Parts: sequence; structure tokens; C-alpha cells
Amino acid sequence: MLTKENLTTYLIALLIILALNFFLPRMMPGDPLMAIYGDEALVQMSPQLKAELMERFALDQSFGEQFVSYWAALFRGDLGYSYSYNAPVIEVILGRLPWTLLLAGLALIFSTMFGILLGIESGWRRGGRFDGGMLSGMVALSGFPDFFLGILLLLLFAVNLKVLPLFGVEDVYSGLTGFGHLIDIGKHLILPLTALILARITAGYLLTRNTMIGVLKEPYILLARAKGLKPQAVKYRHAGRNSMLPVMTQTGIWMGLLVTGALFIEVVFAYPGIGFLTYNALTFRDYPVLQGVLLVSAVCVLGANFIVDLLYARADPRVSHAR
Amino acid sequence: MHVDPKRELVKSKGGRIGLALLLIVILMAIFADLLATHDPLALTVHSFQPPSWEHPLGTNHAGQDIWSQLVYGARTSLVVGFLVAVLSTILAALIGASTALIGGVYDRVVMRLVDAFIVIPMILLLILLSIYVDPNLGSGAVVVIEALIGIVVLAVSVYVVRSLGWVGLLIVGPVLVLIILARNLLPTTVGLIVVISLLSWQGGARTLRAQALSLKERTHVVAARCFGAGTWYIIRRHIIPDMGPLLVADFVFCMRRAVFLQAGLAFLGIGNPNVVSWGSMLSDAREWVFLDVWRWWLVPAGAALSITIVAITLIGSALEPALDPRLRGEVSAQN
Repeated sequence: MLTKENLTTYLIALLIILALNFFLPRMMPGDPLMAIYGDEALVQMSPQLKAELMERFALDQSFGEQFVSYWAALFRGDLGYSYSYNAPVIEVILGRLPWTLLLAGLALIFSTMFGILLGIESGWRRGGRFDGGMLSGMVALSGFPDFFLGILLLLLFAVNLKVLPLFGVEDVYSGLTGFGHLIDIGKHLILPLTALILARITAGYLLTRNTMIGVLKEPYILLARAKGLKPQAVKYRHAGRNSMLPVMTQTGIWMGLLVTGALFIEVVFAYPGIGFLTYNALTFRDYPVLQGVLLVSAVCVLGANFIVDLLYARADPRVSHAR
Repeated sequence: MHVDPKRELVKSKGGRIGLALLLIVILMAIFADLLATHDPLALTVHSFQPPSWEHPLGTNHAGQDIWSQLVYGARTSLVVGFLVAVLSTILAALIGASTALIGGVYDRVVMRLVDAFIVIPMILLLILLSIYVDPNLGSGAVVVIEALIGIVVLAVSVYVVRSLGWVGLLIVGPVLVLIILARNLLPTTVGLIVVISLLSWQGGARTLRAQALSLKERTHVVAARCFGAGTWYIIRRHIIPDMGPLLVADFVFCMRRAVFLQAGLAFLGIGNPNVVSWGSMLSDAREWVFLDVWRWWLVPAGAALSITIVAITLIGSALEPALDPRLRGEVSAQN
């Protein structure tokens, strides 16, 4: 539910990130331009660009004036300049964001769906063979780091069987358009998406299974059975639907991690989203991009939490009545 | 909370498997000096050798012995995992208990900050801090931090042994031996350990605070208060001992995440390149998937990392019934 407290929490989180972005580089000894951009970037920058950046962020001024111009730049949407991409940071990040949202969003939807379904089946058959096997399989699966899962899939399907593309998001040289282009994008999506779903599915599964076990002991389940309802109806309509609520809440929290959650998978598959951008910025020491990514993903986290809070009151009528 | 986590752990099959797997990794880390056939970082000209008696898992692109790297990688993972878990569990317990007992402005301010830190994506924060916070601390600072960590670890060990008896000794003994053997690893990893610990106590503090809030209303705590017990005394004697199962769960959770994060950061190339780590092995091996070397290079490193995390996860989920009594007992819904 959206309360004043939640709102302040989000604001504080945002302020912490802004403070880190502002103070960390400026507390470093020496030239602030060098601390913000790194010495490798400075070598490649033209003197005009240096002078312009100095002026835009008031880097030769006092701390207070730097603070004012930092905020002014933020309100203009100016997150600085990326030397390795030769473009404003905000443009670089926004260009990558859709790819990450596509990959991570689909992964979130599918892993939640499969998690809920398997969790309901497993909780229903608690203690049985299916439940035991499923439970140990899921726990084992969750121990595999997502990047190792990704590399294994890559090895199997792209390197050895050669049935799926190795990296990237589309075949640049094929010149496909329209429907063919979409299929190409889909083909590139299969492996990273599978890896992400496998890495994520356990949490939703466990949560649903555990809730299901609790729900099945409720009196209304006994009543439903006593009414003579078919087991299928009890399982899905009565127990299943009620077991979904905690997962829905949790999905909201995971939604916040949409932008950063695919980081390792994007690196493994060279998938040009925010995660791969972060990795490249780290390799090229393009610090303003890293700071920008932190800020943008924080804004996404906060936005997602905000939306979930609004939606949750609709999903669970008890929440809106409770207040 | 009158459930014994020890019994719960040994009773479940998953818990036993987890303990056995973790024990294997711990033994590998303890006896790394004996098991390794070469210096894991020594560069040679014999790169990409297939497995042989000389090199059980062959050599990598820089001619380093992969088996020796694998064995020493266990040390890095476990030392980082254990120390982060100890530090952040202690922070979580102290902050959770004190906010619950003291309340007021202190509680409100601290919990606000905790909530804020929970929503910030941790991996990005770690990446950003790794750039600006110099990992090569001055030797003076390292000595001070190491001494502090040493004192904390010793205190926790004494506490665990005293409260669990010989079982405690069985748990603490190998870990202490491991940390002492791997002490030369500390100067290069202490920065990472401290940063991960500082970023991972928040979730635990929330749960532990909730538990402490309910504990402080129990009659024996109220009685102690009536006899004039101070806040610190109550935290030490009543709250923390009663939080046992939750502390164990938080410990296991933090350890799992720390092992994963350490490997992940090394995989991204963050941190000291002279630290042997499964994460950096995977990152190096990834570049050579077109050669056959992945069979004895990439797969063993990834498998070792996965086995370690699976073991910790199994232990954690075996402990879950101790925390959530509804999950206890094996009753089927179809009866």
C-alpha cells in the first residue's frame, strides 16, 4: 500500500544515491575532472570538451557551487558525457534500456508464471514423489550462479550444437526487415531468457509452495472439499488463487531489480542492455556512465515499487479496506 | 522459538547432503597447500596443456595449473563467505535488537535508512564503490581491521562453543583453522569483506527487529526489566540467545550471497587480480569456449562454485522448518 512512509523511504534511497554520485568522486584527492572521468578519458578528450565540462559542472568552483550546478544539471536531465560512446550519458542509457526491459521483463513474467504453477502442484502433492523431486531439483537449480548457467547454455546450444546465435541481439549483417527481423530478435533472446528464467524460478516456486501448504490447512479448503467440489477446483480456484498473493507482492519487489537483475546474463551473451553497458563502462573506465546507470536503475526501482504499491491495493481487497 | 535448528538440520536429507558437500569444500580449502600441485599464480610457457599427472586439470591460457587454482579458489570463496556472514549477522543482531529495545527517534532513523538501502540495487553500489574506494588500504588500516575481525571471530566462536557444546566445536573448529591458514589472503580481500558486510546486514536487521519486538514483551524479559536490568544486559542475555534460529538463518543467507557476490565481482573483473577465485577462472575460461579447454577449465570452476552455493542453500532450506513451524511434518494434502 502506498503510504507516506513508503514514499519517504524511496526519497531517502534516491538521496543516498545522489549523495554517493556527488561526493564519491569529489572526495578523491586531486583534480575533480580527473576523479569523475578517470585519467584514461582525460587523455582522449579535447581541450574544448574539458573546458566545457568544467564549466557545465562548475568543477573549478567551490563545493557549494558544484553542488548547485550538479542539481541544475540533474533537472536538465544532464548526467554528464560518456567519452567511450561519444554521447551524453542519458542518451546512451536510454538507448539500452528497452533491450534490458524486454529480456528481464519476459524473464520475470515467465519465471513467476512457471514458479506459481509448479508451486501449486508441488504444495498440493506435499510429501509425495513429485513434490520431493521438484523441491530438491529447484533448490539445486537455485545454487547455480546465473552466469554459469548462461555459459553452459551457450556452450551447449550455440558452440556445440550451433542451433542458436552466440551473442548480441540481432544479426546486423543479415539486413532482415519486418517479420524476419522479429524472428531474428527472438532467436537471440531464447538463450539469455532461458538462463534468466532458470536462475529466477526457484524463489517464486518456493514461496508459492510454502503458502500453498499453509492455505491448504485453512477451514475454507475443508469446506470446499466438504461441498463435494472436484479436487481440481479446490486446487486452483480455492487454494491456488490464494497462494498467489505473496508471490505477487514479491514480484513487485523483483520488478525493481529488472534493470540490474540481468547484468551477468547480459555480459555472458553480450546482450546490449544496461548490464552489458555497465560491464563495458567498467572495462573502459567510463565512470559517468556507471554513475548514470546507478541513478537510472534507482529511479526504476523506486518507480516500480511505487506502481506495485498502487496495484497491490487493487489485487488484495483486504489491504484497501484495512485502512 | 523452542525449535532446535541442529536437530532440524540433521533430520532432513537435504540438510545432511548440504553439510556433507560443504564439508568437502571446507576440507579442500583447509588442505589446499597439500592438494595443490603448483603455485596457482605461477606463469609458465606451457599454456593449454590437457590434463596429465603433472597437471590434473591441465593448464590455462597463462600456463597456470588449473587444479591448484581450483583448490585455492575454495579458500577465497569460503573465507569471504564466512567472514561476511559473521560480520553482517552481528551487525544485524545488534542493530535489530537495539532498535527494537530503544525505540524512539533512533529506531525511526535507523529503520528508514535500512529500508532505503534495501531498495538500492546492491551489485551496482558494489561496482561504484569498487571504483572510488581504494582497495589497497594502507598497511596500518589493514592491520587494525584484521585485528578487529579476529577479535569478533574469536568472540563469536567462544559464544557458539559455549552455547552449543561439542557440536559448536565441530562447526567452529574447521572454520577457525581455515581462517588461520588463509590469513595471507586477508590483506587482499579485507576491503571486499568489509564492503559486502556493510551492505548486507539490512535485511536481517529488519527480521531480527521484528522478532526482538515480540520477545521484549515476553514475561521473562519484563521480569528482568523489573529487577533493573539495562538495555544492553537484556539484549545480551535474553534477546540474542532467543533469536538463535533466526540468527542461524541470517548467517546462512548472508554467506550464500557473499560467496555468490565474490564470484560475481571477480567474474566482472573487479577486485585484486592476484586473488585466486572461481569467479575469475570462469571469466578467463569464457574467452576460450571454442577450444576443448572448457571441459577441464570452465566446468570444474563453475561446478565447484555451484556445489558450494547449493550446499549452503540446502542447509538453509533444511533450517526453514525451524523458522516456519507450518512447514514441519510430512503431511500430504491428498488424504
